[in-house]
Amino acid sequence: MIACVAVVGHQNNPLYLQSFTGADDALKLHHIVHCSLDVIDERVNNPKRSVITLNESYLGLLYPTESYKVYGYLSNTKVKFLVVTTDLDVKDTDIRSFFRRFHAAYVDAVSNPFHVPGKKIISRIFAVRVSGIVKAFAPGTYG
Amino acid sequence: MGREVAESCFDGLIIEMVSAYGRRFYATKPDLASRRIEAIGFQVGHQLIERYTVERPRFSDHLEAIKFICKEFWSELFKKQIDNLKTNHRVGTFVLQDNKFRWFTRVLIDPSSEDNEASQGSSSEATSMLLHFPCGIIRGALSNVGISCAVSADASNLPSCESGILVFALKFSI
Repeated sequence: MIACVAVVGHQNNPLYLQSFTGADDALKLHHIVHCSLDVIDERVNNPKRSVITLNESYLGLLYPTESYKVYGYLSNTKVKFLVVTTDLDVKDTDIRSFFRRFHAAYVDAVSNPFHVPGKKIISRIFAVRVSGIVKAFAPGTYG
Repeated sequence: MGREVAESCFDGLIIEMVSAYGRRFYATKPDLASRRIEAIGFQVGHQLIERYTVERPRFSDHLEAIKFICKEFWSELFKKQIDNLKTNHRVGTFVLQDNKFRWFTRVLIDPSSEDNEASQGSSSEATSMLLHFPCGIIRGALSNVGISCAVSADASNLPSCESGILVFALKFSI
């Protein structure tokens, strides 16, 4: 199940950070998200070392810790989407479709004329949509 | 998709916005009015490019981003593509030419109470006010994909005949 999702702007400023575990480890999840930003930067700036092609939005598994896996996705506008999951066998296609829906919700939230670019997203509808996407994400129900 | 609006409403909105900023809010300060209109366009372009670049592989360099603006972005906004693109790589300028700019085909500049010499100047001033909005859109769109530049526009035959040629010049600070 998904522990935490995050949206980070192109200057590594946090735009949205939401944890779904209900337990008290929000700080640990935020720390994991923060460390994965470095991995993204490394992947984007050193394309020769990694296998990921320069133009792909979906970055794949960033790094696995002892109990979590972190997946990344980079939009054309340098906005990074991260998801931290506790599942051990997550299919690539599931994560990709998750990011697609997450990106669509983000675009709708940012198109709000009252949203200030660069500041945190405070739209409640966005929060509701993201929780809906997270709840609907259940790997293994399709397999 | 979402709900749709008649294009004439949109034309009317732009014309009224420019006239409100130019004649009512900042009537004595045209520079401030033009900067505000450009800033509105900046935010609009910033948000639109976010929507139009979903599901697209990332741009590898400036030229690809400019080509995206000329083709897909322009067709989403104006239902056609840019007619001519000239570049000058060394200086870092791009010139985009649109031979029939859709938004301004129905704009009427009112020459009513001015005498002949003054009306010439004021009609070109009015068209340049109108042009700040699309310039802002282009600048906002490019800045969101990481390219900072200055955009200026030049119009000939506008709005007296339908086929006004609009030239946008993009200067990059590389």
